Amino acid sequence: MSASSTSPFSLQGKVVVQFGGSGLLGRALVDAIAKADATLIVASREPGALAADAERLRAQGAEVFLETVDLLQETSIRELVKAVVTKHGSLDGMVYNAVNRPMARFDDDLSKWEESMKLNATGFFAAVRACGDAMAAQKRGSIVNISSQMGTIGSNPYLYEGWGANPAPDYFFHKGGMINLTRYLGSHYGPNKVRVNVVSPGGIYNPARPQNPEFLGRYAKMTMLGRMADAPEIGGSVVFLLSDASTYITGANLAVDGGYTAK
Amino acid sequence: MIPNAASLGKVVWVTGGAGYLGSAIVGALDAAGVTTLCFDLPGRAEATIADRRLNHTVAVSCDLSDLEAQREIVGRMMDKYGVPDGVAHLTFASSSGKRVEELSTDDFSRTLTASLTPTFDLCRQVGARMAERGHGSVVLFSSMYGVVSPDPGIYLPPMTPNPIDYGTAKAGLLQMMRYLSVHFGASGVRFNCVTPGPFPNPGVQKAHPEFVDRLRGKTALHRVGRNHEIVGPTLFLLSEGSSFVTGHSLAVDGGWTAW
Repeated sequence: MSASSTSPFSLQGKVVVQFGGSGLLGRALVDAIAKADATLIVASREPGALAADAERLRAQGAEVFLETVDLLQETSIRELVKAVVTKHGSLDGMVYNAVNRPMARFDDDLSKWEESMKLNATGFFAAVRACGDAMAAQKRGSIVNISSQMGTIGSNPYLYEGWGANPAPDYFFHKGGMINLTRYLGSHYGPNKVRVNVVSPGGIYNPARPQNPEFLGRYAKMTMLGRMADAPEIGGSVVFLLSDASTYITGANLAVDGGYTAK
Repeated sequence: MIPNAASLGKVVWVTGGAGYLGSAIVGALDAAGVTTLCFDLPGRAEATIADRRLNHTVAVSCDLSDLEAQREIVGRMMDKYGVPDGVAHLTFASSSGKRVEELSTDDFSRTLTASLTPTFDLCRQVGARMAERGHGSVVLFSSMYGVVSPDPGIYLPPMTPNPIDYGTAKAGLLQMMRYLSVHFGASGVRFNCVTPGPFPNPGVQKAHPEFVDRLRGKTALHRVGRNHEIVGPTLFLLSEGSSFVTGHSLAVDGGWTAW
């Protein structure tokens, strides 16, 4: 289904760069943004991983391009932004969905924490600044950062009881930081008509490799809708925030968590 | 799912549908071909339909300050047009406009009762029918003043103060929304709030430009909202594009509450 150009949610004519597209959520975002008629550039370290997806979307008439970027190198990000503006004429939207999760346990060596921050803190800021500056120069743009409900609330050990898979602490730190940096960026770029918002998804069901059934049962009870999210359900919110349907929304955190954090 | 007009359902209600924000929402729903029930005080909805040349909108005269009458008309409209797929509830009682020192306890009670009780009753009545059917989306309208306090420095004479009864009622509305989203969540009925920032109507913009300048200075975007900018967020929350969003307060405030 394609969003028609008359829809307030259409991204037709908008050039959007998405960082991180190969995971379950990333692929769903690529799908949603492409089908909302954007010109979509997916930038990642190994763009080959998305070749088949891009081919399938192009066959359906979508405009999807794959580019290489190293988020640990600011020059690489700046070059990407420059190339996008040169090739496609503008940069109207940016979705930051890249993440690195090197830390597995609370007791891991601090080098794992540092490795996490290299991408999740420094790489993120470098990307959002490079894109934000380019948008500010053209006096328009919308940035959508992908955080998590774990950026707002702590970990609930009950969900993981019995198999010790409590999520690592670095994630809660940088996802929380992302939410408040979004507010800072909203005020920093506001005078130049660039909007900056964050989407905070709840847990996403993985149909290819379903989560532990006991976890699914427990998790379902923690949401008001009684289930995990389906990945395409996050795409709707991201498209909304990229589109001209949300022109007076900035600095906002949009929870897409079935009510997990509202209770 | 990508938000789109096709997933709004067949019937949507807008209360306060003839106001500055409500009429923009009604206009967009009508343009999308949705059967739209526009609730407002006698004569106002009819005027909106005529002014905007709407084709799919039904005027519903309703004074939501009379609970019995409200309950009767809500029931009658569900019988006649079916249980709505979505409700955007904008009707809100006017507040006192008085300073804390001048506000009588009767004034205070009046605003809270007139604002919250009819909303609760409407949400419960419609929510129950939506739950029986297994889906529905209700969008309530709060305010940045349900989240943060007004800055008195903005409301200099001749503006009346933004009074304590207003923000208290708007904060109560946010919590009502969260409670109802839990209560009806398992039945597939979603409750969310649009939480607008400054949307002064054209009359206020014309009469009080200095006031509008002061409002502008409180937002990251350095401007006040325009009524068409409330439409996208409302349609998003009504549509299947937001199928996993419930219990949420969506700030549409140009960054007012972000700094």
